[in-house]
Amino acid sequence: MAQTQSDQLNPQPDTQRMLRIDATLWGITAGLLFGIGLLVATNWLVIQGGPQVGKHLGLLGHYFIGYSVTFVGSLVGFVWAFVTGFVAIWLLVSVYNFVALRRHGDPSA
Amino acid sequence: MSSAEGTDERRFVVVGGGPAGLTAAYDLIKLGYAPQVFEKSYTVGGIARTEQYKDFHFDMGGHRFFTKAVEVNEMWHEVLADEFLTRPRLSRIYYKKKFFDYPLKPMNALMGLGFVESILIGFSYMRWTMFPSKVEDTFEQWVTNRFGRRLFLTFFKTYTEKVWGISCSELKAEWAAQRIKDLSLKTALLSMFFKPKTTIKTLIEQFEYPKQGPGMMWRAVTRIINERGGTVHMESDVVRFRREGLRVVGVDIATKDGEQSYEATDFISSMPITEFVRKMDPPAPPEVLEAANHLKYRDFLTVCLIVDQPELFPDNWIYIHEDDVQVGRIQNFKNWSPHMVPDDSKTSLGMEYFCNEGDELWSMSDADLVALGTKEIGEIGLANSADVIDGCVFKVPKSYPVYDANYAEHLDVIKKYADSLENFQTIGRNGMHRYNNQDHAMLTGMYAVRNAVSGGKYDLWSVNAEQEYHEEVKESGPGRNQQFVEVQEELGELDFPRPLDRVALGAGMGVVAALILFLMTAVLLIQEGPLTGKTLSLLQNYLPGYSVSWPGALLGLGYGIVLGFLTGYIFALVKNGVWFMYLRIVRRRAERGFLRDLMDYI
Repeated sequence: MAQTQSDQLNPQPDTQRMLRIDATLWGITAGLLFGIGLLVATNWLVIQGGPQVGKHLGLLGHYFIGYSVTFVGSLVGFVWAFVTGFVAIWLLVSVYNFVALRRHGDPSA
Repeated sequence: MSSAEGTDERRFVVVGGGPAGLTAAYDLIKLGYAPQVFEKSYTVGGIARTEQYKDFHFDMGGHRFFTKAVEVNEMWHEVLADEFLTRPRLSRIYYKKKFFDYPLKPMNALMGLGFVESILIGFSYMRWTMFPSKVEDTFEQWVTNRFGRRLFLTFFKTYTEKVWGISCSELKAEWAAQRIKDLSLKTALLSMFFKPKTTIKTLIEQFEYPKQGPGMMWRAVTRIINERGGTVHMESDVVRFRREGLRVVGVDIATKDGEQSYEATDFISSMPITEFVRKMDPPAPPEVLEAANHLKYRDFLTVCLIVDQPELFPDNWIYIHEDDVQVGRIQNFKNWSPHMVPDDSKTSLGMEYFCNEGDELWSMSDADLVALGTKEIGEIGLANSADVIDGCVFKVPKSYPVYDANYAEHLDVIKKYADSLENFQTIGRNGMHRYNNQDHAMLTGMYAVRNAVSGGKYDLWSVNAEQEYHEEVKESGPGRNQQFVEVQEELGELDFPRPLDRVALGAGMGVVAALILFLMTAVLLIQEGPLTGKTLSLLQNYLPGYSVSWPGALLGLGYGIVLGFLTGYIFALVKNGVWFMYLRIVRRRAERGFLRDLMDYI
């Protein structure tokens, strides 16, 4: 569509160029968030103590081998959560970039 | 190029002794050439000249010396050294018998306008913010969309129409928008997050000024040119440019001693662009001459009043929005520099009237104009008319190139013709029909010399076309805008102004959600305990049919794809919408910041 003078006087955000996301950067960020989140959540329950420490959170042990609601378990959980967060978000972003590239051409161009 | 290199056979003619022409000649002198400058008037400085009357100095228009162009600033200080004063800036608007701070300060403006008017202005602002005019081609539409109609009528319409002599509904929005068109969203956003580390001096607060006005600068430059081998010919009007094909070979000059001819190899002209095409011999093509007929100028005259009072008011100048009086702006020259007035017990004022050459005001006698100025200064209440003891009038034709409906189209025709001439460059405000400030005009002169002497590729038409919107500079080191540039460079590709692709994010979320749900179910099925999957199976409350079983895992895969896609799609939609609105708000806010001192550019 031809650009009118009004358009020229009121530049709009660039809607033609889609946002390209850095998969590795976002993966690391998400991994750290997940990892630190689980570390803090686990130790929070450990410090609070009680008869059944982390009954529900402990179910994560089904997926994260070696994880338990203990200080040592929180360190294991950090590693598992980091890896899981990284892989999930890296995959999400990679699919996003793949689809965006096919729909709009090189999104970084 | 060293001065030795300037000893070749090239001969330069510079037409016009204003800032652009004299700067070009000054640079040529420094390169070892001996330019011949032809100035039509009896004095130098063009529309930045300083007139004298009985040892009083009158600056035609008020010219603050402030620039972001390093080379311009260097030349100013090279020429005048310690002859500059740093002056505080104070200016106000006079409207409905009241004075308002200028640049506009919201509280001051609202207090002055009164409670009811302020409320109405607020409603008007909201109305135009929510339902702006879809077309924004005129100045009226452009300002109204940003301030509301009521504020436009209060602070913009009267003065703008006094200056330009045409309705705001005829004036193109372009000239105002030009000032902020390079205000990028990125810059506006960064301005919110990155504060300057050192003190900022702004054009709004203070400026430099030669002790005896801008004319002092141009008289000094003229002296230097004459002393170092060039010649500035006064009262020398170019009557024709002799042309052979696409080369200009000489000029014929009308002087009080008759007509004279000069040959040269290079020509730099700051005469109005409409005039140079009419003075080509053989004539320029008919379409070029026709285009020149359509370009218009606005003229102005200053009624200079000498008042028998040591002090009248603290402002450098006051904008007069009142339509009961014809005066548009009042300069108090003593507040620009005490050296403008020879006697401390007197004050000199410049009553500026915007008009068209030949109209009623322009045609009035000097005595009648002085009487008009004396009457109006009394009516406004800035001085007692009885204290005016003397006066004179100076007229400045072609002060403002008019940006009317079709000027760009006509200018383009002439521009193409000028660019086709091999050894001719047109520079300056009127030479380019561009609303250039003094420093912009000087830059065009400097660039023209570089183009001619060393084969530079400077596009003179881009000077002032890529104006930064902040008229500010840091006291030392790079300015705030430079900081933004540095930050942007450091950050590289800033992605945030770009939208997310809704479908792509939906696809990504769908794939990940599906895999997570499938794997979570599958892991539990592989472990096979009596209570395994008890908690995860609660998901069936939200996902009908789901269970911790292999068919449930496959169903979960489908749910993950659908729900993940919807979540990603909606997230991108909302994020893009919020971000878009936020960017528009940031931009409008930054524009309003600029518009607070819009009058300085009118």
